[in-house]
Amino acid sequence: MSSDHPTDVSLVCHGASVTTSSAQPLFDSAFLRKLDRLTLLTRRAMVGNIQGERRSPRRGSSVEFADFRPYVHGDDIRQIDWNLYARMERFFLKLFVAEEELTIHLLVDNSASMDWGDPHKLTYARRLAAAFGYVALSTLDRVTVTAFAAGAGAQLRGVRGKAGALPLFAFLQRLQPGGSADLAAACKRYVRTAINPGPLILCSDLLDPHWEEALRALGSRPFEITLIHILAPQELRPQLDGDFRLLDAETGEAVEITADLETLQRYLEHLRNWQESIERFCHGRGITYVQVDTAQPVEEFILTMLRQRGVFR
Amino acid sequence: MSLLAPLALLSALIVGPLIVAMYLLKLRREERRVSSTFLWRRMVRDVEANAPWQRLRRSWLLFLQLLILILLAIALARPFFLTTGISGRNLIIILDRSASMAATDVTPSRLEAARRQAYTLVEQLPEGGRATVIAIGGQMEVVAASTTDRRQMNDAIRSITLSVGSRGDLSQALALAAALSAREPDSEVAIISDGNVQVPTDILVPATVRYFPIGQRGENMAISAMTLQPGPAGQMLFVQVTRYGSAPVTRRLDLYLDGSLFNAYELSFTADDAPGSSQTIIADIPAQVRVAEARLNSAPNEDYLPTDDRAWAVSQADSSMNVQIVGPGNRFLATALALLPGVTVTSATTAAGAVDPAPQVTIFDRVVPETLPTGNLFFIAPPRSTDLFSVTGVVEFPLLRPAPSAIEGQTPPLLRNISVSDVNVLRAMRVEPGIWARVLVEGDGSPILIAGEREGRRIVVLAFALQDSDLPLQVAFPLLVSNIIGYLAPGSGLEASQITPGQPLIVAVDPSATAVRVVRPDGRVEAAQVQDGQAIYASTGMLGPYLVEQVRGDQVIEQRRFAVNLFDPDESSIAPASELRVSQVSGLQQAVTREQVGRQEIWRWLAVAALLVVVVEWLVYQRTSLAYLRQRFRHMLAARRQSA
Repeated sequence: MSSDHPTDVSLVCHGASVTTSSAQPLFDSAFLRKLDRLTLLTRRAMVGNIQGERRSPRRGSSVEFADFRPYVHGDDIRQIDWNLYARMERFFLKLFVAEEELTIHLLVDNSASMDWGDPHKLTYARRLAAAFGYVALSTLDRVTVTAFAAGAGAQLRGVRGKAGALPLFAFLQRLQPGGSADLAAACKRYVRTAINPGPLILCSDLLDPHWEEALRALGSRPFEITLIHILAPQELRPQLDGDFRLLDAETGEAVEITADLETLQRYLEHLRNWQESIERFCHGRGITYVQVDTAQPVEEFILTMLRQRGVFR
Repeated sequence: MSLLAPLALLSALIVGPLIVAMYLLKLRREERRVSSTFLWRRMVRDVEANAPWQRLRRSWLLFLQLLILILLAIALARPFFLTTGISGRNLIIILDRSASMAATDVTPSRLEAARRQAYTLVEQLPEGGRATVIAIGGQMEVVAASTTDRRQMNDAIRSITLSVGSRGDLSQALALAAALSAREPDSEVAIISDGNVQVPTDILVPATVRYFPIGQRGENMAISAMTLQPGPAGQMLFVQVTRYGSAPVTRRLDLYLDGSLFNAYELSFTADDAPGSSQTIIADIPAQVRVAEARLNSAPNEDYLPTDDRAWAVSQADSSMNVQIVGPGNRFLATALALLPGVTVTSATTAAGAVDPAPQVTIFDRVVPETLPTGNLFFIAPPRSTDLFSVTGVVEFPLLRPAPSAIEGQTPPLLRNISVSDVNVLRAMRVEPGIWARVLVEGDGSPILIAGEREGRRIVVLAFALQDSDLPLQVAFPLLVSNIIGYLAPGSGLEASQITPGQPLIVAVDPSATAVRVVRPDGRVEAAQVQDGQAIYASTGMLGPYLVEQVRGDQVIEQRRFAVNLFDPDESSIAPASELRVSQVSGLQQAVTREQVGRQEIWRWLAVAALLVVVVEWLVYQRTSLAYLRQRFRHMLAARRQSA
């Protein structure tokens, strides 16, 4: 059905899949139904723009009692607690917890380094972002998706409700790997421009010398950050033997190595140290750090790993 | 060290740069795109701290490959060392295998050392060189004839075994070598021997003769003679022990009679005794003893040749020989025959009377029968012709002299110790012999003494009657009779029971015997060949007593014993000769020793080294896989230990 219209983006819920023009389907419908049952967890209440389903730090109109406060001129008299007036003979307003929407910030690293690996890292990131977005949309949250590397238009602002799933998937499918991306600069820019800080999910391989700076920048506003660290099996367990000239996919920079067992062991040691230092850094700043090997199926990762880590419920 | 093909070194100059160029090409690494060099860069920064070592390790392979190249190039250039050896292309190896080569002064034995020397010479033979291998000692044998196949040469050399037969005789072998080397240029003759060989003086070898002496020491003691004779108290044993070295020595001689120890004698030689001096033991022993054996007890450092430390003697008490004289009667002859031990003489006027047992020798004194009897014949002054010869007349007063053919070389056995020139003869028959006969003595152009073999029987003809000469009055007469009987009836008498290794046993066979068998010293029983009333058994290479039995049905009708001993002073004096006098066409009178002309090539070792380096190079190349395998192995071990 979808193959008849290559440019058409469709979300089909029964017996088919979500596809785009170029790529394989992001998910099948069965997985989407499973996603329907998930909710993105937040550790604290955050401010939203309009009414939604999330507890907000504001007082508003839900059924959950929050507090009383004395009436001041101009308050809505409908909120006066008359029972209390009968006892105290003074006006008090009865305040309820406001339930507002949340803005979920999805940051997808589409730099050239992500366009690599088997299974492909960027595809993995797309599917993860789609899953996060879909879960957020199904709980009436607002979703903002931003890709790092590309220029203008590489941002999908504020889609909301299940109807927003379609443009979200389309946007992610359209997302092309860009050239070189300065992770730190992109993060700083995003922090400056973002409104309504909320849960922020960063899908990246962090293969950037300035990864610490980027994370620090994100931490400067009250986002609730989840870092999904995506690495391909070829990066986690390189199978090289012989003399090679390794070319950086982003910068084209070359490194000459003689790959033997000793070299590979040293590489693995470096990799482990690096991952540990990221983890330490994240731990110190309340960032949820989740490593993922693209060899692990996305479905399995989301339904088990992320639930275990308390990202979803 | 020099090179046979120095141009081959150029190959290194050609291939070497090729290897280096290919290595440099190889250094252009395979390019591979990775997501990011971020992690690799950090690692390389670490590695570059010990970069010189890294670079060295990377060039390990290059180094090993160049090493292989150098080794192979040198091997191709065929380096060699000069050693004592040969330089010709046609090699004739004369290898001594006589008894003295059994000496153990060089471990394990001289023969083995000689074989090794021969292998070395074959090795030094240039590509396509030919070799002939001749073994001397006992029967001369050409074990490899002009072959280019090295394996065949080596097999031939390996097949040479000791032969305790007669002394190594170079004359035959050198004659053959001279003939072979005359045919082919660039020939060399290599004599590998201890020098205890008969060297001919009349052969001029048209090639370089090299002598490779084998052996170091000459200490040896030998039993040089041993006989058992009838004596006043039964039998008398006579043993002679000779010391060939010069060191003082004391040895014990054990005497065994029919297998059991009889007596032991202490023999000592002092340093004052000349080399070759001997001591004699004479012992009275019982008459019934059949075989006596003498053994010198072993002494490893005083006697390097064990072969001659044992000797045997056999009793002759029961052997006899029948001689029949046919004729008018001859007192001289009867007396001379009676002096010979073990001879039974019967007389008859004519040959008609059949004698039992059939006589081995029949003497016709001035008569000739119509039909000749079997057995060997001795005619004295035959009055008329027979089938064997014809009588054409009479020669008056012939002047006797040895026939010219008898002068060349050695004295024929019949004339041993006899001078015929002072024998005066009144009248002799003019005998015209058949082609079978050899004239030993002639007088005025007419044969006087002829001898020969015809149809398996031996015949001697003396042309004059004893009464017509003064021969019976001379000392030569009994000797001549003894020689003639010894010739006509071989294998009888004292002398005949004592034979040298390789000499055939000859026994006159009773016509009624159905088989003749020989019991060898090692207990094996073999059948002897019987032909024309004689049994001949030739494989007497083993020392010890032999028993020849004639069998009729199941019954043994006659037994004769022989003792095969190495009574050869030339073989027992094992001191090696350092020089060998062989005349050569080049004018040299002496075989060349210790000239460094042999080329010991070493390319094989270089090739082996190159092969080893190839293996090492492969291991270095595969070191990652090897390390991986090692790790897997370790994991496997650990897993097994955990599960245990």
